[in-house]
Formats: sequence, C-alpha cells, structure tokens
Amino acid sequence: MSDRVVVIGGGPGGIEAARQVADLGLPAVLVEQRERLGGTPIFANYAALTPYFANAEEAMDAMIAELAQRGRAEVRTSTTVTGLSGEAGAFTVELSTGERLDAGAVIVATGFDHFDPGRERQIYNYYQYPDVLALQDLEAQLKEHKVVVPSTGRPPASICWVQCVGSRDRNIGNEWCSKVCCGIASKQAIEVRKLSPETRAYIFYIDMRMYGYWETQLYWPAQEQYHVQYIKGIITEVLERGDRLIVRGEDTTMGRPMEVPMDMVILSVGMEPSAGTKAMSDVLGIERNRHGFIEVINPPLDTVTTSRRGIFACGAALGPADLEDTISSAGAAAGKAVALVRRDNLAVA
Amino acid sequence: MPIGGQKQPPVVRELASAVLDGVELSAEWNRQFETRVIEDYDSSPLFELAALTEAESIEWCYGCGRCVPVCPVDVVGEYGPRKVHRKLQTGINLLDDPDLWLCTTCGNCLRVCPKQVDMIKIMPAAREAAMAQGKEVPAELQGVFESTFKYGNALGQSPRKRPAWTKGAGVPVRDLTKEPGRVEYLLYVEDYWAYHPRGNDAAQAFARIMHRLGIDYGILGHEEKTLGDSQRLAGEKGLFEMLMEQVVETLDRFEFGAIVTPDPHGFNALAKIYPKYGHEFNVLHYTQLLAPRIGELEFTTPLDMRVTFHDPCYLGRHNGEYDAPRQILEALPGLELVEMMRCRENGYCCGGGGGGMWLDGHTVNHTSERLSERRVREAAETGANVLAVCCPYEVSRFEDGVKSTGLDGQLKVRDLAELVDQALGGPGAVS
Repeated sequence: MSDRVVVIGGGPGGIEAARQVADLGLPAVLVEQRERLGGTPIFANYAALTPYFANAEEAMDAMIAELAQRGRAEVRTSTTVTGLSGEAGAFTVELSTGERLDAGAVIVATGFDHFDPGRERQIYNYYQYPDVLALQDLEAQLKEHKVVVPSTGRPPASICWVQCVGSRDRNIGNEWCSKVCCGIASKQAIEVRKLSPETRAYIFYIDMRMYGYWETQLYWPAQEQYHVQYIKGIITEVLERGDRLIVRGEDTTMGRPMEVPMDMVILSVGMEPSAGTKAMSDVLGIERNRHGFIEVINPPLDTVTTSRRGIFACGAALGPADLEDTISSAGAAAGKAVALVRRDNLAVA
Repeated sequence: MPIGGQKQPPVVRELASAVLDGVELSAEWNRQFETRVIEDYDSSPLFELAALTEAESIEWCYGCGRCVPVCPVDVVGEYGPRKVHRKLQTGINLLDDPDLWLCTTCGNCLRVCPKQVDMIKIMPAAREAAMAQGKEVPAELQGVFESTFKYGNALGQSPRKRPAWTKGAGVPVRDLTKEPGRVEYLLYVEDYWAYHPRGNDAAQAFARIMHRLGIDYGILGHEEKTLGDSQRLAGEKGLFEMLMEQVVETLDRFEFGAIVTPDPHGFNALAKIYPKYGHEFNVLHYTQLLAPRIGELEFTTPLDMRVTFHDPCYLGRHNGEYDAPRQILEALPGLELVEMMRCRENGYCCGGGGGGMWLDGHTVNHTSERLSERRVREAAETGANVLAVCCPYEVSRFEDGVKSTGLDGQLKVRDLAELVDQALGGPGAVS
C-alpha cells in the first residue's frame, strides 16, 4: 500500500491539488510534461486572470512558490506518465524518466487546448489574415501592455470580438458552451480600452453567458465604464475588402444582415479536451465522455471521481471550466484522493 | 376577480393600413410598429413540419443568426432560414407562406449552421407536402413541372429539337441514337445548353474543344431527358423519380465509360442522388474533364480580359469542386482572374437553384432586387469586364441582370467553354 498521491499536470488545477494533498498530510508528486510549472496561463501568455485582473505570471509564480514550501510535495518537470498498474491504494505509476512511483491515488489535471480556428466552418480566415487573432494571441499583446494591429503595428481604431468560435457547434463536433469566453472577451475589451482609449471596441454575441458575479465583475463595467459596445448578433464571416477587414453577421435586434469594417478581429475560441487529457485517459484506463473530456461517474453530487477507482480528475480535464471552478474541483479531488488512501490504509491496518 | 387578478388580456394593435414617413403600410408591415401580440401561441406548424421525413432538423435551430448574412435571399429580402424557424414558432405555417418558394437550396446556411439545420432537405420536403395537401404552387413553377412531365425538359420544347444545337458547332457531334456504339464519354447536355440560345453557344464551343482534344464522346440526341434535380428540390420528388426511371432505362441501352455534363444540377443528381436509389455512374462536370487536359490545348488568341468567376452552388458548396474551373481560367492566355469577395465556399447564389430558375415572378415580389442582379454588381465591383460561369442556368440569368442593372457594355457574361474556345481562335479556327 502507498499513501502517495500522484498529480498529473502542472497548471493551476494540478498545483492546487498537489498543495491540498500535502496540506492534508500526505506526500504528493506533481508530474508536468513541460519544463516548468504554470500550465496554460503561462504557456499561452495570459496577461491578467479573469475576473479579478490579477497579473497571471505573478499569480502563478506565487502559487508555485507556495507549493515549493510544502515539504511533502515533490515536482517532476519535463516528465510524462507512461504507464499505470495495480489498483487503488497500490498503484505503480511509470514515468518517462524510467522512475516508478508507488501511489495510493492519482489526480488528473491535464487541462484544455484552445480551439484551433482553422477548423471553423464559418469563414473567419484566421490563418489567411494577419489581423484576425484568437483570444490567446491578444493575451500575448496585453502581456506586453500593448494593443496593435499586426499588419500595421499601430493601435486599432476598431476592434471586435466574435463569440462562440468553436463552441456550441454540431458541425465541428464541439457541442458544449466553453463557459469562459464571454468573460474573457469582456475582460480583454476592458484592458484594450484602458491601454488604448481611442480604440472602439465591439463584442458580437449570440447570448452573453455571464455566470453569477461575472455580470457585475466584467459585463456591466465593460459596458458602463469602458463603453464597450455589445451587439446581439453573431458574425458568420470575416472577409477583406481592399485593405480592411469586413465582418459580416446578423444584427439580431434589427433582424437584418449586417456588415461592418474592422481593423482587428479577435476570435473568442473555446476549450477542447487537451492532447494530454486524451493521452492520460488512455494510459490510466479511464473513460472519456462523448465530448472527449474525462467522464465523472456520479454527477452531480460528485464532480471528480472517474471510472477507475483511485483516479480522480479536476479542472478543464473534466470539461470547460474557469479558474475558480478549477481550483474548487482540484480541492475536491485532493480531498477524495486523500480520503481514499487513508481508508485503504486503514482497511489494511 | 379572475385568477390573474388585475391582469387584462392584451389587445391586438394592427391597423388595416398606416402611414409612416409618408409611406402607406399595410397591416402585414405596420404591425411591426406596435408590440407584437401573439394571442394564440401555437407552434404546431413547427412540429408538423419537423414530423416530415427529412425535415426534422428544422426544430434544432437555436437562433444564433449565422445563417442570416450568408443567405442570399436574406441579403435582399425578409426571408431567412432562422426567420423561417421563428415564424413557425409563432404559428405561421410555412406551407401557406410565400417563404416556401424563396429558398434556392444554395447550401450556404447549412455550411455555417452550428446545429446542422438542413434547409436543403427541409425545403423540398415542405414543398412536397404543400403540393400533396393541394396548396397553391406558383403558376410559373407549376408550368415547368408540367412541361418537364410532358416533354422531358423544363423549357417545354420538343424532344426532337434537343440535338438541334449540334448543327451550329462547326464540328461533328456524334448522336448515339444515329451512330450507336461505345464512347468514352457520354455528354449529358441538359436543358439549357440544349435549348437556350446562349446555352447553345456554350455547347457548340464545348463541342469544338472536345473535337480539338480528340475526345471520343457522344450525345443521347432526342432521347435525352432532363435529370430534373431542380424539380426535385422545388418539391417534385415524384417527377424526379419518374424521370430517373426513364433516364436509367435509356442509359442502359448505351455504352459509355463516364458521363460528362455542363450542368451542376444534373451533376449533383448523378453524383449524389442517383446512388441513393442504387444507380451508380461515373460522372464528371465538364470543367473536371477539361482541367487536367487544359495543357494539351494550343492557344492562339490572347483574351486580354479581366475575369471574375462565379462558383455554381451545386458544383462548389454541394460537391466541393472549386479548383477545376479556376485551373482552366488560369491557363488561358492574357486572362487575369480576380475573385469576388464572396467566392468559393462562400459564393453568392445566382438565384437559379432549387427551382428559383422558375420562380423569378414570385421572388421579385419579396426581394429588393434579384439575386443575379446583386451578383453582377459584385462582379463589376472587382473591376472585371467578364463574369465567367460554368452552369447553364447562369449565362441567361446574369445577362438579364447585367441589362437591368445598367452594366451593359461594362460586364460580359461568358461560359468557361466560350472563353476556352475563344482562346483557341473561335469557330473560324476549327479545322
């Protein structure tokens, strides 16, 4: 038997899960395939975290530093999990480095990938036009405290966000709402208006999905203080006329097609199961749901238990999730993992 | 006191007519200026439509509106796929509504629809049901159905005249009813190349190109009948199936390697619909036959043209062929190809598909301008002096549009075959 908990994935969810396991008194090993911890907020160049506008790098560094203070939490970077044998309470986890770890439980925190707008059936011309960007591309600019049209290097006179790109779409096969993109677009619009007050900002949407407090944390301030224009009507295509981008969509309120010239277009791409989520579910032998995210077996009152006893999952490995959801489910996964290991050890004793 | 306390039932505010900014508006229009009151919110027309075979996806619409800017009819009128759904929700029966006959089945809404609401299946099913229920069918369309039934072509022409175009080709065209025997390609001429004067021009040009390439081919002469794909999409599935039986029976009597046709609608029928009934043929659009061989032609006459190309909906979006026509155009000497803003997957419909070819009189009452007019204006905006097409419906549609928009003298409409033929030196150059 082993009381160690192995956590796979060194983003916010994995770091939090490892920290919680350690705080609850058990040894944790956090395995991360990249060369450092931090996950998507770091590697996708996030500027400020939604919805509180904390500097992403500082926030993640603080989280990583806190983890390092826990004696019971070890980290393996540039490492992947290559095999799993045994059963709950007595797993053997094989690592790409050749190391074999015994573990009582495993937590999967493999996160999400950004939807690739090249797969979009609508014509947004992401790869054709330099001035069509995705959310994470604009994040990289915001991280450097600038907003510029890529083709000119100058601040845009107008910028718009197109919502629901790669989400809620049977054609693409992504039949879920990605939950966060409405809030992220609003957050970015606020940041753009702060950095470049002359830039006119528009958000084209089907419906604004602002869960709970995001309504007043993001949506209303964007509208009322930063004068971001929200337009009910989705954009179907981004085309070029002369040297200007033209966005074409529906003006839903007026019930007519609409065409607007725009300097810069941001595609609010949704979340997809990450490559790591797919790979790890295969290695660990746990079920994915029909969307490709990891399946939980006892919803809604258990949000983290997977189909294989002793393996739990958290964050966006389970489906679209914002950071607060991720941190919460990481805590739940850590709690259940620790409880299981203790019960198993108790039963042996 | 009623259960609802002080609540009063809403009052319908709709004037027989009203004047707004000096414009007199009938009830249908002025009700938009008052609160929309729907007393009897009965969505049964939606459920009834969705219950039809092939029409179930009408219920899947979640109202995102992506279809609106790409629907060619919505751009020039009040019709739109998602509006169809909304009207059904409010109790308006599509089967009684002018909307029923406005969709050209161009397929652009389906391309962008995140819920796969398939108007290409819904509309024919709805039209078929309307006819079965004895609803009114626009007279012009009804006339085409009858002509097709009687004569085997939409134009109501004598089958005897079907091969008449060959006389003006200047090269021999083998009529298999007179000169039987196996051919490599069966040219399925279809109605508009066979009977329309401008279609004849293209057919003759194509015959000269085939002659020049030395391709072994023949036609069915007076035995050819339309494949009737647009009649099917206009709601006459029965007529289509009857034609298909006759066509298959005819084709069985001839020996050929593959079918080549200029008509994307006929191509669609043979490539996608016939196989569903168990009839498999090798079929090529004429651009697909020419494109790989275009290098074999020795062009003598630089065209000195700026050309823009219109993608036929049933070649492009419905069957995925965008490159063959462009390969041909790019091979022509002196020709500069410029693209319209809406091209390829996003090509704008000429208005002729799905029966639209025979519904202009109906459509004109519900749109601000013809789709073909909108399209030729877009073509002219590119600075092109030639609009190149490769669907037999389009030459006549666009030439009418050029005249009515005042672009006469500025923009010419040419079939791809005519352009190739011209670069080869034209009719006079044929040996």
